[in-house]
Amino acid sequence: MKWFGLILLLVASLLAAVVLGPAAVPVRNLVHSPIFWDLRLPRALLGLLVGGSLGVAGASLQSLVRNPLADPFLLGLSGGAGLGAVVVIALHLGGPWTLPLAAFVGALVALGLVFRLGLVAGSVLDPRVLLLGGVAVGAFCGAVTTAVVSLAEASALRNAYLWLWGGLSGASWDSVTLVALYVPIPLVVLFAAARPLDLLTLGEEPARHLGTDVLATRRRVYLAASLLTAAAVAVAGVIGFVGLIVPHLGRALFGGRHRVLLPASFLAGGILLVLADTLARTAVAPRELPVGIVTALVGVPLFVILLRRWTAD
Amino acid sequence: MRRWAPLLAVLALTCRASDRAVAGPAHRIVSLAPSITELLFALGAGDQVVGRTVYCLYPPAARAVPSVGDGLNPNVEAVAARHPDLVLLYRSPQTETAARQLEALGIRTMILRQDRLEDVARDARVLGQATGRSAAGDSIARTIDALLAPPLPAPQARIAYIVWDAPPIVIGGGSFLDELAARAGAANVFHDLSTPSATVSIETIAARDPDWIAIVRDSVNAPPPDWSRRREWRTIRAVREGHFLALPADLFGQPSPRAPEAVALLRQLLIR
Repeated sequence: MKWFGLILLLVASLLAAVVLGPAAVPVRNLVHSPIFWDLRLPRALLGLLVGGSLGVAGASLQSLVRNPLADPFLLGLSGGAGLGAVVVIALHLGGPWTLPLAAFVGALVALGLVFRLGLVAGSVLDPRVLLLGGVAVGAFCGAVTTAVVSLAEASALRNAYLWLWGGLSGASWDSVTLVALYVPIPLVVLFAAARPLDLLTLGEEPARHLGTDVLATRRRVYLAASLLTAAAVAVAGVIGFVGLIVPHLGRALFGGRHRVLLPASFLAGGILLVLADTLARTAVAPRELPVGIVTALVGVPLFVILLRRWTAD
Repeated sequence: MRRWAPLLAVLALTCRASDRAVAGPAHRIVSLAPSITELLFALGAGDQVVGRTVYCLYPPAARAVPSVGDGLNPNVEAVAARHPDLVLLYRSPQTETAARQLEALGIRTMILRQDRLEDVARDARVLGQATGRSAAGDSIARTIDALLAPPLPAPQARIAYIVWDAPPIVIGGGSFLDELAARAGAANVFHDLSTPSATVSIETIAARDPDWIAIVRDSVNAPPPDWSRRREWRTIRAVREGHFLALPADLFGQPSPRAPEAVALLRQLLIR
């Protein structure tokens, strides 16, 4: 029943996303309109894929670091992506895919640094070390980014920040195809790790006694969740709150078992982002809001309701 | 009290220096905005300019003036090191703090906000007086007033200025570019947005259906931008039809005393 509701919501949100928009397209003519085919449909599908990826990445990382505050961007990836984007603009590198590619590479470099820090001094990707390493790498990348922006002489650099918070406005069939081909790989890795993730939430020692290879699980989950996030930031910039809130919603509705929680987080993340983007496009038309602002405006009240329920229990 | 005497003496001296600067025309000016730098050179006060921002590139003679860095977030020490008797700033929260710090050093400051063409006329008079070139200032102001005085011509075409593609940013009614278009006989399809610029979606641009896409480029002959080949952008009719207006940055990059020249060029491009 809950699944049925979730699927119904997903269909409704996708319909809303392709029917609503600043251009007046009569519903009868919708399927003949380039506005539908080249703008609204790829944007809705990209929202579904990116929101779903952030939901799953958030749920996995929260279980991995055993911290309900974990967000896919907490581990330094947004800082790395921003630095990558600013560096290619400062070097005047052109081309349609340069910015997304640079952001992706930047996120991967940050990922690699945090991963290496997590293995320092024989640590088994200790959650505390990962969190601290992520915050430190993110802050360092942020500082270098600010330095490049203030020292380089390109007025386009100010727009690098806009791009980083630009949301789904750059959606195209190219980006949808790319993400649709890429995202299933880390998703399958995470879904396959559902059982060991269940055990890890019991704690490192119990998990080991029940036969889990703790380091291997952590390595797989960390890398797969980060690769999902890096792809999301490359095509849609930094979108906050989806990866933080959706897993909590999923746990409240479906419980903590990852075999159920991860697919539920994918659907809920997709729904939240598609709805938020539809609002971002239409609420203040002809202007457009950054979608991250809408996810925060929608997500934070939801989060407060959840917090009240927890503290009441 | 005796301990403070030297400090008081210094304070008294700096106050007097400041008063003296108010009395006569400024001889060592640091300009912290490209539009102000251009106006100073147009007034014939170029040799009184001893500092500029890295973005002040017009007229070419301005490039010979030492740069003091960024204008919106000025480095007060770098500005003071040029020993100016007048610093001209663009209005923003950071520049107001910088202006207070400079005043505390005994340097006279003026904060100007040159966003629209009527601001150019007003600032030409103000700066003409400050530099001892009132006649030149009045002459520039009269040229701009003459441009703005007649009723607007009936628009012959509809245009959209696109200044950035990811996310799409367009020029709104609060910008001098909107005025230049209106004077050239073109209606900015985003005139209803009161701010100088705004983020919109590609779909909104397609829905407003401009006849021309105006883009500020290095030269009039610049090719259409890379993004114009992308499928999602081709939902806009003007992009499909290749109707781009490349507007040279040195003329259209800032509100300028050469606004009549800019209007004439835009009118000519629209006819072609």
